[in-house]
Amino acid sequence: MIEITGLGKRYGGTTVLRDVTFTARPGRVTAFLGPNGAGKSSTLRILLGLDAATSGTALINGRPYRDLKHPLRTVGAMLDGAGPVPERRAVDHLRWIAQSNRIPRARLREVLDLVGLGGAARQRVKKYSLGMGQRLGVAAALLGEPEILVLDEPVNGLDPDGIRWVRRFLREYAAAGRTVLLSSHLMTETSDTADDVVIISRGQIVTRGSLAEVTSGYPSLEDAFFALTSDRAGTR
Amino acid sequence: MFSATRAELTKIVTLPRVWIVTGVSLALHVLILSQSVHLNASAVADIAPDGTIEIFIGERQPADQAILGLLVASSLQISLLLPILGAMIAGQEFRSRQLGMSVLAVPRRGRLLAAKTLAAGLYLLALAVLIAALSVAFMYAGIKDWNPDLLVSRAALLGQARFVAFAVLFALTGFAIAVIARSTLIAIIVTVALIAITMTQAATAVAPSLDALLPLSAGRNLLLDAATNKLTAGPAHGLTVLAGWATATIAAAAVMLRRRDAR
Repeated sequence: MIEITGLGKRYGGTTVLRDVTFTARPGRVTAFLGPNGAGKSSTLRILLGLDAATSGTALINGRPYRDLKHPLRTVGAMLDGAGPVPERRAVDHLRWIAQSNRIPRARLREVLDLVGLGGAARQRVKKYSLGMGQRLGVAAALLGEPEILVLDEPVNGLDPDGIRWVRRFLREYAAAGRTVLLSSHLMTETSDTADDVVIISRGQIVTRGSLAEVTSGYPSLEDAFFALTSDRAGTR
Repeated sequence: MFSATRAELTKIVTLPRVWIVTGVSLALHVLILSQSVHLNASAVADIAPDGTIEIFIGERQPADQAILGLLVASSLQISLLLPILGAMIAGQEFRSRQLGMSVLAVPRRGRLLAAKTLAAGLYLLALAVLIAALSVAFMYAGIKDWNPDLLVSRAALLGQARFVAFAVLFALTGFAIAVIARSTLIAIIVTVALIAITMTQAATAVAPSLDALLPLSAGRNLLLDAATNKLTAGPAHGLTVLAGWATATIAAAAVMLRRRDAR
């Protein structure tokens, strides 16, 4: 369970998050949507202990991320601001991550095969395509077989086959009782994947609820998104 | 802590540029040492009956003392590359946003930096010991017909221990500066500038006591013989200054890492 309550963040005189509050529950895929610069990545970075909040709390199973012992065995994360050194081989990137959280070495091969990088494991990351880099990010997130997944734009750069794989995978992951929180700006993909939707605009939550609740009164999630983020219709 | 340190060691040994700089350092060291074997053998062959040797033209000094001084000095020159290596080890975190992944894996920043420092220290320690061992091996080739036992004497081992302490502490200073600056390049510029101030004797011209506070000057004070070198302080002062640089910069790095967002 992810619980974010009253989260605020200021950079100098600029407020990037204001009173952000939402929950991502087990057994459900929660989509975190917003335009570029709306505060999605800042929220996820605070949740995962990379940035400090100015106010509010972000808890994972009732505790701050930094208080988790071997956190990657509880939370798997893929963030835009957390990547491999390009000169390192993919398998070595995963190896140090696994060692840091006492994840068995055998798991490396499993996740590489799972994301379709088994044959490219010994390549240096700089030789990877954008899609392969995304798959490596997903592999790193899955290393610890976590009960919670936090993915920032996971389908960016993936080919249609990869996008379909991610969609199915996340559905199955949540169906097994685990928590999935993903940020995205792809409405069609999100509406096919998400159970719950949280929309943020200019640092504030403008709506949250089940997919049916958020899209109620709109032809599609895309229409709801643009209606809610263009005129800041207010929190529902 | 063990798992985090092990992960940091894996990061170090799987980074190609670390291997390249390590390899270049050792190759340069071997090249320089191989050229001195003949010179050392010639000098030793000409040791006078009073036990003095002429290493520099016109300067006779006790042979034991001179050979041990040469032994340490030969390691000292190549070890000046170690702070650069330290900076590269730390600086990898700030390339391609790896720091974000590191903090995801080890979210306690103090623990993360402790693991990083320990791993870097272990790698640099192994390299410093290897450099010292190469110096001994080549010096042995030069003096084996005179007094090879000198290289395992108490004085020789103490000198090597001092060298290893200097090399690791100075390299960790470069490592910590990279964390503070969040940049390998800036750390290299700062460490080269610190070396240059000693080399040009700019600080000595102002005040020897000021020079003694610089890391390379502290290294010279720790390692070299005051009888044959113009030094600015004693060995205990040198060791204290080196430990002070490493401790102060690592402490500053810990504060910075803790206070800043992981970017």
